[in-house]
Amino acid sequence: MKKNRLSALYAKDGTQKLLASLLSILIGLVVGSIIVLIVGLTSKNISLSGAWDGIRLIFAGIFSTGRSATGALTFGFNPTSLGNMLFRATPLVMTGLSIAVAYQTGLFNIGAPGQYLMGTMVSLMVALSIPTDLVPPVLVWIIAFLAGALAGALWGAIPGILNAFLNINVVLACIMTNWLAANLVTWLFDISSFKNMAEGTKTGYIYKTAYNGVATAKCGLDKLFPGSQVNGGILVAIVLAIAMYILINKTTLGYQLKACGSNRHAARYAGIQDKRNIVLSMAISGGLAGAGAALYYLSGNTEFFWSTYQSLPAVGFNGIPVALLAVNNPIAVIFSALFMSMLDIVGLQMTNLTAYNEYITDVIIATIVYLSAFALVIRMLLSGRKKHGGEPAAAKAAEPEKATAPVPAEPEKGGDEA
Amino acid sequence: MDKAPEYVVEMLHITKEFPGIIANDDITLQLRKGEIHALLGENGAGKSTLMSVLFGLYQPEAGEIRKDGVKVEINNPNDATALKIGMVHQHFKLVDVFTVLDNIILGAETTKMGFLQKKAARKKVEALSEKYGLKVDLDAKVEDITVGMQQRVEILKMLYRDNEILIFDEPTAVLTPQEIEELMATMKEFAKEGKSILFISHKLNEIMEVSDRVTVLRKGKYVGTVNTRDTDKQALSNMMVGRPVQLEVVKTPAEPGEEVLKVEDLCVPSHLHKRNAVNHVSFSVRAGEIVCIAGIDGNGQSELVYGLTGLDKASAGKITLCGKDISHASIRQRGENMSHIPEDRHKHGLVLDFSLEQNLVLQTFREPRFQKGGFIKKDAVRQYSDQLIEQFDVRSGQGSVTVARSMSGGNQQKAIIARELDRQKSLVVAVQPTRGLDVGAIEYIHGQLVKERDEGKAILLVSLELDEVMSLSDRILVIYEGELVGEFDPKTISVQELGLYMAGAKRADGKGEQQ
Repeated sequence: MKKNRLSALYAKDGTQKLLASLLSILIGLVVGSIIVLIVGLTSKNISLSGAWDGIRLIFAGIFSTGRSATGALTFGFNPTSLGNMLFRATPLVMTGLSIAVAYQTGLFNIGAPGQYLMGTMVSLMVALSIPTDLVPPVLVWIIAFLAGALAGALWGAIPGILNAFLNINVVLACIMTNWLAANLVTWLFDISSFKNMAEGTKTGYIYKTAYNGVATAKCGLDKLFPGSQVNGGILVAIVLAIAMYILINKTTLGYQLKACGSNRHAARYAGIQDKRNIVLSMAISGGLAGAGAALYYLSGNTEFFWSTYQSLPAVGFNGIPVALLAVNNPIAVIFSALFMSMLDIVGLQMTNLTAYNEYITDVIIATIVYLSAFALVIRMLLSGRKKHGGEPAAAKAAEPEKATAPVPAEPEKGGDEA
Repeated sequence: MDKAPEYVVEMLHITKEFPGIIANDDITLQLRKGEIHALLGENGAGKSTLMSVLFGLYQPEAGEIRKDGVKVEINNPNDATALKIGMVHQHFKLVDVFTVLDNIILGAETTKMGFLQKKAARKKVEALSEKYGLKVDLDAKVEDITVGMQQRVEILKMLYRDNEILIFDEPTAVLTPQEIEELMATMKEFAKEGKSILFISHKLNEIMEVSDRVTVLRKGKYVGTVNTRDTDKQALSNMMVGRPVQLEVVKTPAEPGEEVLKVEDLCVPSHLHKRNAVNHVSFSVRAGEIVCIAGIDGNGQSELVYGLTGLDKASAGKITLCGKDISHASIRQRGENMSHIPEDRHKHGLVLDFSLEQNLVLQTFREPRFQKGGFIKKDAVRQYSDQLIEQFDVRSGQGSVTVARSMSGGNQQKAIIARELDRQKSLVVAVQPTRGLDVGAIEYIHGQLVKERDEGKAILLVSLELDEVMSLSDRILVIYEGELVGEFDPKTISVQELGLYMAGAKRADGKGEQQ
């Protein structure tokens, strides 16, 4: 009986997806370890025990507490690392959500970096320009947060509008709006009066909202994780993730958005306004990215450094692997974002404690991204051929209903014409 | 028949499995030289799989194929071609922008030092076309010719390659009655010459008319092979479905009530050309009658339905539904009094990646019984879905949570019909509701439509199947090139005459084209 329940659990789609992602992560970590080992063996500077230290850090770097007097690695509860992990995860959760939500509605929002930038600019400008001696800082924070989200939403709506009304490819439109955002932000900061707020010792302009006394509430998290940058932003991100999960899965709006994403024609047939919904889901997606930027930069001491446009914010693009690893499930996005930011911390620990540098974690992330892209293959391997029999593909082949199936009797290669 | 005991093609004990499903279970099909052999079966019976095995697209797990008594391996379609096996697919495999001649020689071009030798090819094709009366315009582009002519091009392709075994997959689905007759004659001519023909169909009339023998498959299993002259339609359909089937639609004379739909002077522009796809069309449908729009595919039926349902904008005209002018209403507003069984069940009818229950509430999810404050009532949806599945006998692997994509075409269609008819709207627009379905499912769907009519619904049926038009409708409107060219009573008009109107050779106002 118990075995039956176990196998039923194993056969569930969600379980399969989770296992596939966990397997990707494990393989990624192992590949990282192998590279650490190879680098260790081929490098004169690194001993075998040095390589062993590196491998241990890859798996448990988040719990690293430095080295003991004898030079051995020590592990334990490291509140600073954990707190920083939560802090860094905050914008990743949001950009991951941005991409996952768009994907669930059939859109690939590669415009998250641009939306993130617009969110950054607007939330910073609002937070810096409302005088806190007149308006309470909490209120300024809320206004700035909403303004950042709105800016992202409007920026995200642009590719949505282009797609819905002019049938322009979303991906192309998103890439264009990314660079438009980069230049627009550079220009607007350039002509703004916020330059005066820059610290004179640094080149370029650096903005942080602490100048104006605006900072995200700590919500007691600084007590839990002393010495870290953590603040209430992560809680906001988690609440938004849960809200998105409910929106997509439980509401009529989510149902409509998914219907449009999955089959625009059928949605239209059922009287769903497909154009409105495409714009709406891009706006929601953009709003999430913009809110992510607001959560990050409104934290107070986070510096925004922008001399001229050089590249798009990486956190925007990193939302893609976060969403991939989470198989676009908003709740899973929280965990995959935490994992990605953990790797960041691991990278820092590697740099600090061993002869390796943080780039080794990029190898791990790259491996995981590749494997996530192959997630379908991994899921098929997990489920085995037997399960596959029940899958649509085979069922279709077995019942070649004329209009549906890639009808078996239609050779693509044109063999019958030959 | 009696002079040659040996078979040109034998498929012996063929078993083809897909994981979880046995598509062909120990099937034997023996084709005599010079015979027309019909292969009959419902959707999912394994006809196409069997033909795919013969064509080298699938390798069977068990069984063997013999050509002229010799065992052969057919690993790909090229092997099949080398064995002189040719096939006309239901959906033609033609290059639209090539000329007819180019299409025929494509893949079998004769070249000299890399240059095409079109002259010789043209001569050969002309000779074949002459010999079999397959009239085609060799220099026309395929996109400009009729479907009937495209099929002749496909047949010429097989002849050009000197194929001896000709497979026709549902060849009559797209043809007018006249064209069907011509095709039947051509097939008989081929058989007389010693070519062997495999004819896949589920239309019993045609099988009775043209075939010598019939092999029947059911659910992947071999049911039997019978001589056509020893059987009849009823016996064949019973063999195919496995139970006695009602072939004729049983219905009482219509008792039309008040006017439900009134269309005046409707024009819908075409996406393909600058003219109107629907040109100044006027008609009405009353409660308690089934009005059928008959016509050959592509004469504006789809656009007419798009214009009525709001999927496309009409450029002129007035539509009145239940006394309300809906000419400019949104799709959703029109849906308040109209159910729509769409022509393309995959494009419009279903969200294939949604579960069955999600598809069943596609039109009704906004109603208070399924949502509260924007949140979907999951239990209510499940309960409703289970009830519809039961009531309409929609079969699927996992009931309400089955992904629509994995269901068979017949059951997908049943799901759409369940959804649309259960909405209880005054007007039902049913577009080719039985396309591609087998007799069992057709019997059911026709029964449901008649039931709706008897309950006082107005039904507008669009169909390409003349059998369906004749047996189901109370009034027939023929559409030709976007215009209604005549209105008939199915009891007083013959299929032949209807065909002439559909082909544009006759029209009620006497403007008919000369053939």
